[in-house]
Amino acid sequence: MDFSFSSDQQLLRNAARSFLDEHMTPATARTLWEDPRGESEAIWKEMAQLGWLGLSLPEAHGGSGLGMVETAIVLEELGRTACPAAYWPTMLAATAIAEAGSDAQRHRWLPAVASGEVRASVALLDAELDWHPGATATRAERTSDGYALTGAKRYVPWAHVANVLLVPARAPEGLTMFLVEAAAPGLTLSSAPVMDPGMRWVDVTLDRVRVSADAVVGREGAAEASMLALIRRGAVGAAAEMLGAARRCLDMAVAYAKVREQFGQPIGSFQAIRHTCADMYLDVENSHSAVYYAAWALDARADDHEVAASVAKSYVGDAARRVCGEAIQVHGGIGFTWEYDLHVYFKRAKALEVMYGDGDFHRELVLRAVS
Amino acid sequence: MDLTYAPEDRAFREQCRAWLEANVPRHDLMTLDERRAWHRKLYEAGYVGMLWPKEYGGWGATPMQQAIVQDEMARAGAPPAINGLGIGFIGPTIIVHGTEWQKRRYLQKMLTAEEIWCQLYSEPNAGSDLASLRTRAEDQGDHFVVNGQKIWTSSGPIADWGILLARTDPGVPKHKGISCLLLHMRQPGVEVRPLKQITGHSLFSEVFMTNARAEKRDLLGKPGQGWEIAQTTLGYERGANSLGRVTRYAISFTQLVRAAKDLRRGGRPLLQDPVVRAKMGKLYAELEVQRYAALRVLSALDKGEAPGPFSSVTKLSYTEFEKRFYETALEILGPYGELMSATADYEEVDTSSGEPGTWATAFLWSRAGTIYSGSSEIQKNIIGERVLGLPKEVRADRLRA
Ligand SMILES: Cc1cc2nc3c(=O)[nH]c(=O)nc-3n(C[C@H](O)[C@H](O)[C@H](O)COP(=O)(O)OP(=O)(O)OC[C@H]3O[C@@H](n4cnc5c(N)ncnc54)[C@H](O)[C@@H]3O)c2cc1C
Repeated sequence: MDFSFSSDQQLLRNAARSFLDEHMTPATARTLWEDPRGESEAIWKEMAQLGWLGLSLPEAHGGSGLGMVETAIVLEELGRTACPAAYWPTMLAATAIAEAGSDAQRHRWLPAVASGEVRASVALLDAELDWHPGATATRAERTSDGYALTGAKRYVPWAHVANVLLVPARAPEGLTMFLVEAAAPGLTLSSAPVMDPGMRWVDVTLDRVRVSADAVVGREGAAEASMLALIRRGAVGAAAEMLGAARRCLDMAVAYAKVREQFGQPIGSFQAIRHTCADMYLDVENSHSAVYYAAWALDARADDHEVAASVAKSYVGDAARRVCGEAIQVHGGIGFTWEYDLHVYFKRAKALEVMYGDGDFHRELVLRAVS
Repeated sequence: MDLTYAPEDRAFREQCRAWLEANVPRHDLMTLDERRAWHRKLYEAGYVGMLWPKEYGGWGATPMQQAIVQDEMARAGAPPAINGLGIGFIGPTIIVHGTEWQKRRYLQKMLTAEEIWCQLYSEPNAGSDLASLRTRAEDQGDHFVVNGQKIWTSSGPIADWGILLARTDPGVPKHKGISCLLLHMRQPGVEVRPLKQITGHSLFSEVFMTNARAEKRDLLGKPGQGWEIAQTTLGYERGANSLGRVTRYAISFTQLVRAAKDLRRGGRPLLQDPVVRAKMGKLYAELEVQRYAALRVLSALDKGEAPGPFSSVTKLSYTEFEKRFYETALEILGPYGELMSATADYEEVDTSSGEPGTWATAFLWSRAGTIYSGSSEIQKNIIGERVLGLPKEVRADRLRA
């Protein structure tokens, strides 16, 4: 039993941290907020170079064949810089293709993802905003050579830069996953501006979007379990990213508490502030345990990997919101300004808290598994 | 990172489980003699004193094996070993600071629970600020004469020996003038008065020392080294038992599920009430996080890493969790959570003291963990200062010193 990172994992973490500290400074992130695409082609290409885009993809398709632990390490660092990028949705879609896709789909998409040529996303939420796969209302009707998809997918992260979307829809056979290319006629995108300026959510409307039969990922009518598995994986990744945001806020709060003086002494010498920092630290360290346990369990297919994913998402969602919020409190007025960077991480954590199943959703899954 | 148990740890678990199945007493242990006999059996099986070196009667086992035993004991509902303070903290302190004579004299009998030990640290006016203690020990050449009062002494009423902190030099700053002595409890100068706890039991006590005698050979370490030694003791006290504790919570949770299926409100089982479900889902998620954190600490201990001030994080985490756990459980259980004796079996749970009780006793016990061994506030001070490097608070005693 070893809960610490291997030396390779440690190297990956160090490399990710130094790359992002250099290339994803708060100033860079802020420039991207103003960018119509909201992300940087150059950084994306660098991510491919660094091997992040193929990290968990099979070696046969240009990946490194590593797992969720390594992916979580990268995601934590991305969260730590609130990096605006389509990284996680792309990886999720690619993982779904790697796990359930046909040979043709794997050949078509995986090497292109790993090399940074394409981005992807997952359209998991329908109009009712219910994360249960059963709530999927988008329909897939049979056509002569495939299906026609009609429905409204909400808040699809980074859909506007994605070349392909993974779209669950209700086919005559039952819930089915489809690959829909961005250029498909009948697909309309409109952005839904959110609190986190480094995040892009897009409403995707499908009006009789025609896909061929070989756009089906996995078996027709069998997507319920795989969609839930995708949400769980998404949840673990989001938890890792929230952890990164929270750790950044903790670091900033502690550093500030050492230098800011009031009443003739550093504010960190006041117990109210020191104890707040200690509570934040506890939240962050427990979140670390939750994220990496869940990531390991997923890789190892441990008996409790499903529960662990839901535990991580619900716990870290609450913890990260608390930590990032308290960091603002520790800073006082400066923490409430647009120019100071705290709100960037606060908002990243908050945006991810509601994605891939919110706390209530996952707590219900936890209880179902154990009662 | 690899959280699978090593094959030898899995084999060890099997073996331990089989032993417990064959040996756990079928009835509650009522007397101290019965508990001693059970303790002795556990010791001979190699399940007590596991981390102690073999030369002092221990088993030289790994922290992982020790955690597995605690885990399996919780699972099997086995009565705990006794002399926990002795074996967990006092013995290891003697191993580090004691003379050869002290080790030979005390350790073996401590392990077998032939002699029970208590910890004589806290005083009425020296709790968190332990270094301000006033109990005096005067050097009389071949022995010390001890006068003063201790309080909250766990196992005081049954103890044969105590590890005592007393002031031997009132003329130096408070941390420097304290020495550590091993005090025989069964002597005329030592009077133990049980104190009744909020649970109704009397597991702790007051101890009055009036011209009590401590031999010179029972001075632990050097004169004036008491404070430093106390830090070792506390170091062992924090962050020891990990998995067993979480397993006990998990077993309680299973009881809670059973209760929520059985009890009805508004014409349906509690378990179908969405408000109850939300609370229970959250509770279990938090419980699991405690387990992951325990595994993380255990994996570090197993590699020989010292927990250091991080053990404050562990202690703060599980003691605060335990309060939330029982608070929420009692909210869900309503009147059933108030009962002090069980009628249905889901009303019976293990308390954090390891003794069986009801939800109500477990709930009451959960208030103790955030006070003893350094209160939550003290742990947060430690985390703030020693882990996060925040400036020390301005304190009157530091200004004076
Ligand atoms: C069940 C139980 C068993 C015990 N067993 C033993 C035993 O066997 N041997 C033994 O020696 N002792 C034992 N104790 C005593 C325990 O160690 C003390 O109760 C503890 O150290 C707190 O001291 P106190 O009770 O004097 O409270 P105080 O120190 O007076 O604390 C009161 C409150 O003030 C807070 N406080 C104190 N100082 C600070 C500070 N610097 N910053 C912020 N807040 C502060 C505390 O956190 C607490 O909330 C036991 C206690 C309990 C409850």
